[in-house]
Amino acid sequence: MEYEKENSIVEMMQMQFPEAAFKVKKERRIEVRLPSARLYDFAVRMQKKWNFLHLSAISCVDWIDDGEFELVYHFWNYDEKVLVMAKIRIPREEEGDSHFETISNLWQPAKFFERDIHEMFGVYFDGSEDMERFILTDWNGPPPMRKDFITREFALNFYHYRDYEPQWLKDMMAAGEGNE
Amino acid sequence: MDEKMTQRSVWEKIAAKLSKRSLWMLHYCTGCGAIELPPTMTARFDMERFGINPMVTPRQADILLITGYLSVKTLKRVVLTYEQMQAPKYVVGFGSCTINGGMYWNSYATMKSLDRYIPVETYIAGCMPRPEAIIYSFNELIAKIDRGEANSWKDYYNNYDFYRENQEHTFEGPIETYNDIKADAALFRI
Repeated sequence: MEYEKENSIVEMMQMQFPEAAFKVKKERRIEVRLPSARLYDFAVRMQKKWNFLHLSAISCVDWIDDGEFELVYHFWNYDEKVLVMAKIRIPREEEGDSHFETISNLWQPAKFFERDIHEMFGVYFDGSEDMERFILTDWNGPPPMRKDFITREFALNFYHYRDYEPQWLKDMMAAGEGNE
Repeated sequence: MDEKMTQRSVWEKIAAKLSKRSLWMLHYCTGCGAIELPPTMTARFDMERFGINPMVTPRQADILLITGYLSVKTLKRVVLTYEQMQAPKYVVGFGSCTINGGMYWNSYATMKSLDRYIPVETYIAGCMPRPEAIIYSFNELIAKIDRGEANSWKDYYNNYDFYRENQEHTFEGPIETYNDIKADAALFRI
C-alpha cells in the first residue's frame, strides 16, 4: 500500500483531533489544517507523546484577500522521518498587530521564529518572554513582508537617490530606447 | 575648494609625503565585494607594495573600505566605526551599492548613497570591481593625499548637522555616539 507509514500516523492523530483535516501530500510529508484554538494542544501532544522533537520552522503567509494570516508550523520526527505541517488561520488586523499564542515554552527556538514573524508580518505572540526586534532593529515603517507594503514606493519615498542624467542616457531616451 | 584649504605649510607637505606610503586599511566587509580583497592583499596583486596593509581596529586605521551594500542595521555600525577613527581618515566606497544602491536600488532596507551619512573620499564603480580597480583607486587616493586634496574627513566636522540629520532620518531617533564631534571640530581648529 502506498504511504503506509504516513497513513498510520494520520490515523493515530485523527483519533485525538477529529476536527482537523489531514492530508498526506507525498512521501514523508503530512499537511494538517487546524482550528487556531487547538494548535497549542496539538503542539504539546506532538512533542510529548508523538515524538516530534524538532520544530523546523514557523512560517507565515499573508492571505490579504481573505483577510487572514496563515501560520505554518513544521514539526519533524527523527525516528519516523516524517514532517508534519500544521496550518492555522488567524484574523488579519489592518492596523497594528494580530495576536496569537506562543509555543516558545515548548520549543526554545520558536522565540526566534516568532520574533521574526512579528517584525516582518506584525503578528504578536502573547506569552513569549522576548518579543524584541530581531533583524530590523532600526525599522520605523510598517511590517515589510505584508502584501500591502509596496517595497518600491517605500524605498523611493524614504531614501535619497543620486541624480544621474548623462547625455548618452538622454540621447537614448530621445531615440525611444530604454524601458522607462 | 576655497583658498584656505589648499594652502599648506611645509610641515604638512612633508607629513603628507610620508603618510601617503603608510596607510592602514580597515575593511568593512558585509557585502559580497569582500571576496575581491584576498587577492588584492596577497601575492597576486600585492597591495603592500603601495604601503597599504589591513588593520583590525578602527582607532589605528586610516582607510575605511566599505565593500558593498549597507542595511540600516549595518550603517549604524559603520557610523560608530567611522567616528572612532582618528583623523585624517579616508572612506573608500566600493562597488555600485555604495554609489546608488546597485542591484538593491528598490530595497526597503539598504542605503542608496553612502556620502549622505559619512563623507566619502573615493568611489570604485563596478559590480563588483576587480582588484585592478581597487589598486587603481588606492593610487588615486595616494596621489590625492600627496596633493593635499584628500580633505573629505574635514567635511564631517564642517557639515556635521547635514550628516547627523540624514542619520537620524534613517534610524529610529537619535543614535548614541561615543564621540563629541562638535568638540573634536574645535580641537582640529576647523
